[in-house]
Amino acid sequence: MLPMHKFSGYLSNERKMSDLLTTFSKKIEVDTIIRDTFDKVVVLRFGRASDLTCLQLDHILSKAARDVSKFATVALVDVDSEEIQVYVKYFDITLIPSTVFFFNAHHMKMDYGTADHTKWIGSFLSKQDFIDVVEAIFRGAMKGKLIVNSPLPPERIPKFQILYKDV
Amino acid sequence: MQKKKKEEFEFCKACNINHDQGLRHKYFPNHKKSLVTFLSRFRTKLSDVRFFLNAPIPLNPELTSRNRFWCIFCDQAIDELSSSFACANAIRHLASAEHVKNLKHFFWKYGAATDQLDAFMFSDDDVAKWEKKCAARKDEASEGSRRTVVGPSSDDHIHNQLTSGNIDSFEKIVYSHSVKSYPSNAVLPLQSYTNEYQISSSGLSGIANVATSSEACAGAKPFALQDFSVGRRSHSLLHDGRQSSSNGYSCNKQVRDNDRMVHEESTHQGVQLITQISSLPTESADKNVYSEAPPPWIGATEVVQMHSNSNRLGKSRMLNPNRVGAAWVEKRKIEMVKEKSGENVRKVCDANWLPNFGRVWQSGSRRESRKEFEREKQLQKLNVETQSEMPIKIQPYVSKRMFIAHLSGLHSNSTVCQPAMDERQSKLAITVSVKTPNRGAELKLDK
Repeated sequence: MLPMHKFSGYLSNERKMSDLLTTFSKKIEVDTIIRDTFDKVVVLRFGRASDLTCLQLDHILSKAARDVSKFATVALVDVDSEEIQVYVKYFDITLIPSTVFFFNAHHMKMDYGTADHTKWIGSFLSKQDFIDVVEAIFRGAMKGKLIVNSPLPPERIPKFQILYKDV
Repeated sequence: MQKKKKEEFEFCKACNINHDQGLRHKYFPNHKKSLVTFLSRFRTKLSDVRFFLNAPIPLNPELTSRNRFWCIFCDQAIDELSSSFACANAIRHLASAEHVKNLKHFFWKYGAATDQLDAFMFSDDDVAKWEKKCAARKDEASEGSRRTVVGPSSDDHIHNQLTSGNIDSFEKIVYSHSVKSYPSNAVLPLQSYTNEYQISSSGLSGIANVATSSEACAGAKPFALQDFSVGRRSHSLLHDGRQSSSNGYSCNKQVRDNDRMVHEESTHQGVQLITQISSLPTESADKNVYSEAPPPWIGATEVVQMHSNSNRLGKSRMLNPNRVGAAWVEKRKIEMVKEKSGENVRKVCDANWLPNFGRVWQSGSRRESRKEFEREKQLQKLNVETQSEMPIKIQPYVSKRMFIAHLSGLHSNSTVCQPAMDERQSKLAITVSVKTPNRGAELKLDK
């Protein structure tokens, strides 16, 4: 589905990233970061640490986290955790990794040109894409918009098909 | 799209034009600009009244005719015919409920920002304080000797206002060859002073009290208190005595010059009373404009704020109040402060809190989506047959209306949804008749 090019090295343990990003497995932790982050975008990645695409995304996120730190906080959420299933259902997370954006405890949508505006599915093609997306969300949020347009051209957005019951 | 109705012509006070744009007019940029200037002009006039709110001065009966005040919100003039203190009626008017009502209506109609509301009205607390001060003054006045005091004339003050300074005092008469005072009718040539008629130091001390309503009045030398009053006009002028400390423009000089005779005919409107005011000598040395001390009308707290504000680098000081979740932030910050101080740690249904989330296929407000979610949670608990986690939500080929219809169909019976690929069959499966053609893969999502 997604181009698996240079990141296959992540399967081996030698490239284990020391993620500076925190991983949440409890609902309270997620609640806290959503509620207590003021005037900064909260980027929550829902995924597994063992999944290839998730690793790809995590790598990009951890590289970019510092650059966006003035207007965004990045965190990872473990989708296999028991308590998190509530959120998995609430946010309709079926494909991982899924990245959901919040601002001041409000969910931010972005029109990527795909069918699902509520979250970003898949990884980013480059660190700069991610930064652009977060910046667009931040600018829209500061203006009071709950849904913003994606700054990325369609070719840089991972495509996916929403399947229903594996059809 | 046609215009809905024919708009009648209305007059906009701020732009001073007649327009037929109706309620749209307040959003036009030209109007916004003119509104800003309009309000700021009125605000300067209000600042005079505000001066008297802080330092009430008894009103001389002769001056009442000059002290009319036009309230732009209520469209009425407020006279000071029967008031004992300067701008008393104006102060009372600005605190009245009717004025506030008119103010709010004006703000709505002209699209002004509501955070400026407070600048155009007085609170009841202010008025109460003012009245206390008035009472105090009255007592004081009855003891001390008669003094004549200047009240601002709403017309002249703009010209007369001294900019030398720290004190927001009003100078009725201007004049001089000292650089700092400004001629009210700016074209007056240099004239000689009115010489003194009386010297009443006690009267002056009264004036001094008034003029130095705030502490820092720089020092005029006490010996030079001379009260000048023109015979015809019984108002005396408060000269900003602080000038004596500002070297070179001192009224000492003027005092000495006052040996000249007055020319009676040269007393115009704005003539010539220069009074030197005694001040507390200790404070004079430090706090004046040259030492870059903050002016006295800025309270101590504000000074602190000024400094702390200037420390923030680069960022705009006010975050956009329209930004997403601004109200939430305020609420949450208050909560956090409370929690810190340990007042009440109210964790409102923490385990069940869900953020504001707009679901993928929702068609209502975000609160709807949360309610829907809760409903589904309960349904799932009841239902034996575990439905899929996202019932019906993912059907890329089903148009919105069909989706809603399908949803209602689903709740009523437990038929499993058809695979989305086979759209024709799914269409037939839905009992509710749908008139819209199949929209294919095009889907419009609500916010």
